[in-house]
Amino acid sequence: MSRLIDKKLSRRRFLGLSTCTLATAVVGSQVKVLRALASSGDITAPVAGDEKNIFTTCGMCVNKCGVIARVKNGVIEKLDPNPNFIKSRAMLCARGNAGIKVVYDPDRLKYPLIRTGARGEGKFRRASWTEALDLVAKNLNEIADKHTRAGVMFASTEGTYQDHFFNQLAECFGTPNTVRHPTLCLSSNIQGFSATFGTNPTPDVLNADYIIMSGANRSEALITPDSIDLLKGDGGRRKLIYLDPRFTKTAAKADKWFPIKPGTDMAFILAMIHVIVTEELYDHDYVKEQTVGFDKLISHIQQYTPEWAEGETDIHADAIRRVAREFAMAAPKSVYYHGRRSSFMSNDTQMRRAMAILNGIVGNWDTKGGMIPNSGIKLAKHDYIAPWYDDVPDRIDAGSVSFLSEKDGSWPVVQERVLAANPYPIKGMMVYKQNILASVPDRAKTLKMMEQMDFICTIDIAMSDTAWYSDVVLPEATYLERLDPIESLGGIVPVAVMRQPCIEAMFESKPNLWIMQELATRFGEEVAEQFNFTMEEYIQHQVKDNPAILAALQEKGVYFDRTEPVYGTTRGKKLKTVSGKIEIFSQRYADKGLDPIPVYTSPETIPAGKFRLLVGRHAIFTHGTTANNAYLHEIMPENTLWLNTKSAAGQGLTNGMLVKVKSPVGEETLRLEVTDKIRPDSVYMAHGFGVLSKGLSNIYGKGGCDAALIETRYCPISGNAALHETLVEVVPA
Amino acid sequence: MKTKRYAIVLDTHRCIDCKACTVACKVENNVPLGKENYRNWVGADPLRGSYPNLGESYTPSQCQHCSNPPCAHVCPTSATTVSPDGIVHVIDHKCIGCKYCMTACPYNARYYNEEIEAVDKCTFCTQRIQVGRIPACVETCPTKVRVFGDINDPNSEVSQLLAENPSRVLKEAQGTKPNLYYLI
Repeated sequence: MSRLIDKKLSRRRFLGLSTCTLATAVVGSQVKVLRALASSGDITAPVAGDEKNIFTTCGMCVNKCGVIARVKNGVIEKLDPNPNFIKSRAMLCARGNAGIKVVYDPDRLKYPLIRTGARGEGKFRRASWTEALDLVAKNLNEIADKHTRAGVMFASTEGTYQDHFFNQLAECFGTPNTVRHPTLCLSSNIQGFSATFGTNPTPDVLNADYIIMSGANRSEALITPDSIDLLKGDGGRRKLIYLDPRFTKTAAKADKWFPIKPGTDMAFILAMIHVIVTEELYDHDYVKEQTVGFDKLISHIQQYTPEWAEGETDIHADAIRRVAREFAMAAPKSVYYHGRRSSFMSNDTQMRRAMAILNGIVGNWDTKGGMIPNSGIKLAKHDYIAPWYDDVPDRIDAGSVSFLSEKDGSWPVVQERVLAANPYPIKGMMVYKQNILASVPDRAKTLKMMEQMDFICTIDIAMSDTAWYSDVVLPEATYLERLDPIESLGGIVPVAVMRQPCIEAMFESKPNLWIMQELATRFGEEVAEQFNFTMEEYIQHQVKDNPAILAALQEKGVYFDRTEPVYGTTRGKKLKTVSGKIEIFSQRYADKGLDPIPVYTSPETIPAGKFRLLVGRHAIFTHGTTANNAYLHEIMPENTLWLNTKSAAGQGLTNGMLVKVKSPVGEETLRLEVTDKIRPDSVYMAHGFGVLSKGLSNIYGKGGCDAALIETRYCPISGNAALHETLVEVVPA
Repeated sequence: MKTKRYAIVLDTHRCIDCKACTVACKVENNVPLGKENYRNWVGADPLRGSYPNLGESYTPSQCQHCSNPPCAHVCPTSATTVSPDGIVHVIDHKCIGCKYCMTACPYNARYYNEEIEAVDKCTFCTQRIQVGRIPACVETCPTKVRVFGDINDPNSEVSQLLAENPSRVLKEAQGTKPNLYYLI
C-alpha cells in the first residue's frame, strides 16, 4: 500500500503538470463540504496551498470530454471545458460541470465495507482494506475450488479507463464469464453495421446536408461531437428528419418530426429503399462496383411499398416517398444516422442492417457528409499472460445467440442462465461500477440471480443498488482523483486523452489498478506477476512508439494528429467484410440460418388499456449513475410517467397524480405527466430512479425504476437487450 | 479608449435545454444548492400546438444587466450599483435583505442567498472577466448559444452579430434597456 503513496511526489514530477494562477471571487462551497467532513473527523481540513489548472478527462458519461480542473488549496473549485478539446468542440455539459459533486458527495463510499445484515438490508461495517481484500480472495478462491473458475463472473462498466485492469484480472483469475455493457447498449448497432460495412462507421454529421434519425435523440442523449454538430454550422441548408414516438428536444430542433409507431422503424427504412430502388435514385456505379446482393434486394423490397409501410408506421406514404427522394437527392451528403443506444425490439440487428443497406446504396460510404469509418490513435498495448486453467468450461452464454462477443457476453442471457444454473452454476460475482440492478431488464430476476450467489463484491464510488446488495463494497477513487491510462477515442477525427489526478484520493478510496493488484497478489504469484507495473510505467509503455502523445496531453490535455477529417481512405478498397464489399446480401447471415437481407416483422399489437413502455435518455443524467448528484438532482428530482393527453383522459388519469405502472414482471409507482409529447399508445419514463439503495439519499424513495418493469427480451443475433418489447398498464396508485 | 459595455447575444435556436449553463454558473459562483437559487436558467416556452403537430423552444435567461436597472433604483441602501463597464452588481455587505430589488426586477433574475445573507445575481462572472476569461455559462455551452463581449467595440463578435442580425430584448416596453440581446 505504501509503495504507491511514496510515489505520489514522483508521479507529479512525471506528469509535469502545467500550473497557473486564477482569481476566484469567494470561498468555494466545496471547501465548506470539506470543513464539515473534517469536523466529523472523516478527513483533514483543507490547508492553504497553491492554485493550479489540471488537464484531465470527464468521467460522467461515455463521451470523455476534455476538462481543466481548477484546483485551489487542494480543493477542486470548478471544472471548465478544455478549449483544445476538438472532439467535444470545447464544451462541458451539465453533468460535466456537476462532476465536482461526485468527489464532494456525502453519499460517497469512503471505506471498505463488509455486510453484517441480510442482503439488501443495508447493514455494513467498516473494514480495513486488508480484511476486505482477504475476504474477497478467500470467497472467490473457495467458489473456484467448488465450481471451477467459471463459477465466478466479472461484470464491468466501460470508460473508467481502469476497466481494462478489471477485465485483465478476470482473465488471469481464469473465468470466461466477463459481462460488459454492450448488450445493454449498442451491440446490435455494431453487429448490423459491421455485417454490412465490415466496421461500425460514424456519420459525418457536421458535413451532411440531410440527416435522418430514428430515436437517436441527439439533443438529449448527448454524443460528442454529433450533438453539437447537429446544430452548429448547418448554415440553414441542413435538413433533419426525426422519427420518435416522443416529441423530444431533438424533435423540437428537427425540420420534420414523425411520431412513428414504436418498433416499426425497419418498415420505414425498407419503404425508403423501395422508393430509391424502384425510382432508380441509388448510386448506380457505386452499387455495381462496391456492393454485393443488390439484384436480390430489388426483388426483396418489392413488397415493401410506402403504402404498406404507412399501415405499419403511421407515417403517410407520400411523406415516406418525399423523404426517400430528398435523401437520395442529397446523397452522398446524406446519412441515416444509426445512433448508439439500446435495442428497441428483438429484431434490432436486422433493423440496423436495413439502415446500413440504405446508406450503402446511396453511395455515402467514406465520403464527405456520409458514413465514415472510424480511425484511432495508436497506443502500444500492455501484454500479459493469463495463466491456463484446464477445467474451465466455455462461457455460460455460449451458443445462445448468433454472434456473441467473447468478452462482453449477453446480459439478458447471462441473467437467465445463471438463474437456471444452465449449463453450470455461477456462485460468485465481482462487479466493477456496473449497476446491474438499474440497467439489466427485469430487476426482480436480477435480484434472484444475485440472491443465489454465495458471494458478491462491488467496486464503486457510490452505494449503487448493486453495491447495496453486495457482501463486500470497495470504494474506488473518483475520476478526478486518479491517474488513468491514455485512451484513444476513435472517430472521424480521433483524439487521445488521459486522466491526471486533480487532488489526492479522499477517504480510503483507491484507484482500481491498486485494488486489482492487491487482489492479484492474493490469487497467487502467477497472477500477481501480470500486475507488476505502476500506472506511470503503463503510460510510458503506451506511448513508447510516439512520446509526442504524452507531451501533448501534458501541454494541452489532448492529443490529435489532425484536426480535419480525411475522407476516402477505404473508398473503392477492400472492406473488412467477407466479400470485401458492402454486403446488401450477407452470406454470413445465410450460413447461420439468418435472413441474409432484412425481413420485416410487425411488433405485437397493443391491446386496449395497455401501453408500450419506452425508455430514452435526457441530457441531465447518465444511465443509473448520476441521478443522486446534488446539482443534477435539483434539476430533475424524480422521474414521471409520460402519458398522452387523450389517453390519460380516456383512462380518467390526471396530470401529477401518482400512478402504478404494471408490467408482467413488476410494478412501479410514480407521478403522471400528462403531455402531448408522446404517442397515445406509448408511455415513457426516464432512467435512474426508483432505487433500492438507501445510500443514495437524494433519490431514494423517488420515482420509478424502468428496469423493474422491462421484460427480458433480446436480439437473437447480437444478444442485445430489447427494451421496447414490454407492454404495461397504468392505474391510479 | 471608449469604456466597455458588456453584453451577451443569444441565438436561442441553438439551445437544446441541456442545463449546462445553469450548473456551470452554480459551481463557478458558489450558488447554494436548491431550486430557488439560480443566477441563470433555461426556460421552456409553452408547448405549441397539439399532438402530433408540436413545436417547442427554449430560452436561456439571467440578469439582463439593464442600462436602466429598476433593481438599483429601488434599493434603499444603494447595495445595487452599476460598474463602469455596465455590469449590475450587488455589494453584499450593503444588502439588508429587504428584497425590494427582487420584486422590482421584471426578469426574476435575483434570489436571496442564505449563505452570504444578501441578494445575489449574475455578475457576468466578473472574477473570470478580470483575468481575461469569458463567463462560465458562455464558455461551457455545448452549442454556443451565448456570445459575450463589448458592444462598444464595433469589431467585437457581439457587435458584429447585432449588426448582421435582427435581435430583440426582453420586455422592451418596460424601458429597462437590457444588455442581453436575443437574435430573432
